[in-house]
Amino acid sequence: MRTRGGVLVANIIAGLALGYTVANIGYGDYAELNRMFTFQDLRMLLAFAGAVMIIVMVFAVLRVRRTPGRIHGGVIPGAVMFGTGWAISGGCPAIPIIQVASGYLPALITIAGVIIGMWLCHWANSRYFHLDRGSCGL
Amino acid sequence: MNHYWPWWAGAIGLALITINYTLTTDRSLGVSAAWDRVLHWRSERQLERLDAQFTDDRALVEALAAATAGQFASSPAAHPPASAVHADAQASGQDAAPGAGDEPASAAPVRPAPLITQAALLLSIFVGGWVAAVTAGRFQLRLDMGDGFRQIVTDNPTTMVSLLFAGGVLVGFGTRLAGGCSSGHGLSGCGRLRPVSILATAVFFGTAVFVSFLLWKVI
Repeated sequence: MRTRGGVLVANIIAGLALGYTVANIGYGDYAELNRMFTFQDLRMLLAFAGAVMIIVMVFAVLRVRRTPGRIHGGVIPGAVMFGTGWAISGGCPAIPIIQVASGYLPALITIAGVIIGMWLCHWANSRYFHLDRGSCGL
Repeated sequence: MNHYWPWWAGAIGLALITINYTLTTDRSLGVSAAWDRVLHWRSERQLERLDAQFTDDRALVEALAAATAGQFASSPAAHPPASAVHADAQASGQDAAPGAGDEPASAAPVRPAPLITQAALLLSIFVGGWVAAVTAGRFQLRLDMGDGFRQIVTDNPTTMVSLLFAGGVLVGFGTRLAGGCSSGHGLSGCGRLRPVSILATAVFFGTAVFVSFLLWKVI
């Protein structure tokens, strides 16, 4: 599965499963998301934390390799911006796609914002920050 | 009473997706990285071409070395002892070549996934979300973001558009500045106990909690 075709199939399976699962947990529903972040309903928080716990245990048992990752100057400001944007718009980079797929057409505006934000970050980093930000997709 | 999955089903589902993806590809699942690479497809294509060219050049050098070694090994020895020693050395080098070639190959998974696979990931998320909405009876084309958004954030369409756009810009800029999002840092990174991912996840979750309380109780 590590050839080009294998990775393509793995991405399609992961994308289909991720879209299906995230939509059925309710991350695309703004009311549910706000109830999670304000601790009125712990269901979605437990789903996320439970997933992380399972992954940690399985990766430890299988001795999955650590990927390189350095704490750089962009981590905290970037995470603050992301957290603010997620709470306001209800979308992390995958969720607006699921919102549009569920019929919430204004989420197209969120997607437009995400695209412009990423372009701006790319431009600002190459011009001003010069940070080696790493990549979660490796 | 909601109609969404219980927490344990969601946890198992998200964990299975992340674990399966990591084990089958030896890469980490990251949606914001996929977005970023698809958006900068021109430069990514250029990098992929350079990478392919580098791989071809390396294969050519290895083939030439193997052919040279073969020539030396099969030629009649003018100086038997020295030639034999040289041929042995070349032959052992040739034998070692696949091993040496394997090393970059084993390091190859560290290279980013091909661009087309990242575009496929984003499209597949859309299809998966659509199937979930339709099969659960939740699919409905609408021009608002639901009752929750209307009650907690705003019921004014213009303000809604402005906030969604601003929120999207913050998400796009923030995830790329921090080097990941809820899938890359949150699931894959925290799952590997990477300090940078644990820090990023704590900060973006903490900020989202703070802003959500502001929206709910204050604003």
